[in-house]
Amino acid sequence: MEVEQTSIRSDTNSTCEYLDAESDPDANEPETSLYQEADFEQEAEQQNHSIISELRDGLDATRETSASALSPEPGQHSKGLAASAESLALSTSTSAKTEDSIGGLEEEYDYQHDSLWRGQKKHIFILSEAGKPIFSLHGNEDKLATLFGVIQALVSFVQLGQDAITSIHAAGIKFAFMQRSSLILVAATRSNMSVQQLQLQLGDVYNQILSILTYSHMTKIFEKRKNFDLRRLLSGSERLFYNLLANDSSSAKVSNNIFTFLTNSILVFPLPTTVRSQITSAIHSNCSKIKNLVFAVLIANNKLIALVRMKKYSIHPADLRLIFNLIECSESFKSSENWSPICLPKFDMNGYLHAHVSYLANDCQACLLLLSVDRDAFFTLSEAKAKITEKLRKNHCLEAINKELQQPYNAKLYQQVVGIPELRHFLYKPKSTAQLLCPMLRHPYKSLEELESLEAIYCDLLHRIHNGSRPLKLIYEVKEREVVLAWATGTYELYAVFEPVVDKATVIKYVDNLIKWIEKEYDVYFIRNHATF
Amino acid sequence: MSGRKKSLLKVIILGDSSVGKTSLMNQYVNKRFSNQYKATIGADFCTKEVVVNDRVVTMQIWDTAGQERFQSLGVAFYRGADCCVLVYDVTAPNSFKNLDSWRDEFLIQASPRDPEHFPFVVLGNKVDLDNRQVSTRRAQQWCQSKNDIPYYETSAKEGFNVEMAFQVIAKNALELEAEAEVINDFPDQITLGSQNNRPGNPDNCQC
Repeated sequence: MEVEQTSIRSDTNSTCEYLDAESDPDANEPETSLYQEADFEQEAEQQNHSIISELRDGLDATRETSASALSPEPGQHSKGLAASAESLALSTSTSAKTEDSIGGLEEEYDYQHDSLWRGQKKHIFILSEAGKPIFSLHGNEDKLATLFGVIQALVSFVQLGQDAITSIHAAGIKFAFMQRSSLILVAATRSNMSVQQLQLQLGDVYNQILSILTYSHMTKIFEKRKNFDLRRLLSGSERLFYNLLANDSSSAKVSNNIFTFLTNSILVFPLPTTVRSQITSAIHSNCSKIKNLVFAVLIANNKLIALVRMKKYSIHPADLRLIFNLIECSESFKSSENWSPICLPKFDMNGYLHAHVSYLANDCQACLLLLSVDRDAFFTLSEAKAKITEKLRKNHCLEAINKELQQPYNAKLYQQVVGIPELRHFLYKPKSTAQLLCPMLRHPYKSLEELESLEAIYCDLLHRIHNGSRPLKLIYEVKEREVVLAWATGTYELYAVFEPVVDKATVIKYVDNLIKWIEKEYDVYFIRNHATF
Repeated sequence: MSGRKKSLLKVIILGDSSVGKTSLMNQYVNKRFSNQYKATIGADFCTKEVVVNDRVVTMQIWDTAGQERFQSLGVAFYRGADCCVLVYDVTAPNSFKNLDSWRDEFLIQASPRDPEHFPFVVLGNKVDLDNRQVSTRRAQQWCQSKNDIPYYETSAKEGFNVEMAFQVIAKNALELEAEAEVINDFPDQITLGSQNNRPGNPDNCQC
C-alpha cells in the first residue's frame, strides 16, 4: 500500500512497512498485525481491525497478498514512517451483531463484511471535517460511521504534518482524497480511472454541494458549528448526487455523461445552423432588454441547444453540467413553470442565481432556463419565455427540435460516416471549446458492463494524453478486443475505438474520413460562438 | 442522506491510560469484557444505534489513546465532537486528578462554541474492585464545580451502569443539537461585476 502525496510514487520503502500479507482478508476476525515495532505487536495483534485491513477488507475481496508500504513524502522516509507506524494505527470495531447481543437495536447491518457492498465498482464518501458522514454512494452512511471516522483520522494525520493526502493505492484499489473548505471527499475504485480523473469526479460532486448550498452559507455554518450534520440541509437533494454518479450507482442506467466530466465538457444538440441561429435570435430578441439576466440556456436530452450570455460572462462546462444534472433528474419541472435558486460555483460560488425553468411546450420537450441575479424577476422572465415559445413555434423551430429528438441520437452521424462500420465509438473534442462530440452507445457497448469496459479504455487513453509529466500526442494500440487510437493535435483531440480486425492503414484512412466529415458538419454538432445580450 | 431526520453524534472518550475507556466502549457496544489490557494506539472507533425520545440516533464513538506516546491525532479527534466522556479509575486517585487537564485539553483543542455548556459526562470506572480510593462525594463535588457535569459510577467488567451512562450521554448531546437552529440566512444577492464573479475565464475552458 502506498500513500501517494505527490505525483511520485514510492514503493521502495522497507524500513517500516505494514506487512499484512499473512492476513486473510475474508476472515471474520482478522488477526492482522500492523506494527512492525516489536513492543506494539502484542497490543496490536488482537485489535479487531487494523486500518490497513479496514481499507482493504472494506473494498477488496480478492486475495491478493502484497506487502504494502506506507510512505509519506518521498525523501523523509525513515523518520516520518517511524512516527506513522505508531500513530496511524487506528483500529475500528464494527457494531456487528454478536451472538450474545441483546435487544432489537443490535440488528445493524455490517457493510464491511458484505461482499456486495465491498464488490461495488466505485465508492464515493462525503464527510465533514469532524468525521461526520454526509453521503455514501452505496450503503446507509449512518451504518458506515466507523469507516467515516477512519477516513477523517487518516486525513487529519497527514494534515498534522502540514501536508495533504492525495491518494492511497492498496490491493488494486485507488483511494482518491479531496479536501475542500470544510468537507472531505473520497472516491475508491477498482476501475481504470486515474487519481486525477477520480478527483475530477469528486470536483463535480463538490460543485453539486455548492450548487445546493453555496460556499458562503456552508462555511458560515461550519464556522459556527463544527459538529453540524450537513445532511440536514441536503436531504431531499440526494437524487442529484445519485444521478450525477449514475454509472457508478446501482441504478443500472447507461449514460454518456461519464465522458463529459472526463473531458470537462458538455454535449451539443445537433441542429442545422439556420435552425440554431433562429432559436438563438428568438431568445436574444426577447431577453436582451431584461436587466440582470445573466444566462439563457436551452437544452434537450442532456444536450445544449443554445446559450445566450451576458456580455463579459462566460459559462463554465462544470456549471453547465450541474444544470444538465438538475434538469435530468427533476421530473417535476415538466409539469409547470418553476422558480429555483441555483448556485453555479464557477460563476459565483457565494450566491444563488435564480432560474426560471420550464419546458418550451407540452409538445416540445426542450427545457429553457433563464438565470438572473434578481430574485424578483419571475414574472418578467415568465413573460419572456412565453414569447420565445410563440416565436419558435411560428418559425417551425419546435418542429425541428422534435425531429431531432425523435431520432436516436446521432443516428445520422452514423449513417453518414458509414463506410466505417468498424468504428465502434469515438470522442471528439475541439481545442477551442469545451464541447464534446460522441455518438450514442451502441453495440457492443449497450450494457452497463460493456460501457464500463469502454470507460476503462477512454480513462486510460485520456490519462496518458493528459499526463502532466509526460503527455503523449498519439497512441495506437491493438488490444485483444479492440483497436484504440488517441490523437491530440493543435485543434482537436480524438479518441476512437475500432473493431479488432482493422489494420493500421485502414484506421488511418477511417480517421481521415471521420475528421473531414466532422469539419464539414462542424456547425451542426458544435456551437462556435454564443450570442450575448 | 435519505429519509427521515437522522442524527449522528460524535462522542469522544478521554481519560488516563488503563482507566477502562476501551472496555467501557466494548461493554457498551459488544457486551464484552476482557481482563487483558491492551493499550489503544491512535484511536479506536465504534458505532452504535440508540433510541432517544423515540428517535434513532447513531453514536459514532471515538475511543482515544490514554498513553501519551500513542496520542498523535490531537485536534483531529476533538474537532466537531457532540459530547465528551471523561473517564477515571476509582482505584487510581491520579486518574481522577487528571480529569481537570483532560477537560481543559479538550476545551482548548476542540474549542466548542459554548464551552460552559458543552456536554461532558464523567464516569468513575472499576467500582467492582475492592480497593476504591476516590469517594463518590469527592467526584460529585468536582463535577458540580464544573457546571454540574453528570456523574456516573460504572463497571465495564460487570456492565454496571454502562448502558445508562451512554443513554444520558446521547440524550444530553442531542438536546444541545436540537437547540442549535439551522442557520437559515439566504446568501446575499449576487452583485454582478463584484470580486466573486469576475468576468472572463482564466482556465480557458468555456463552453
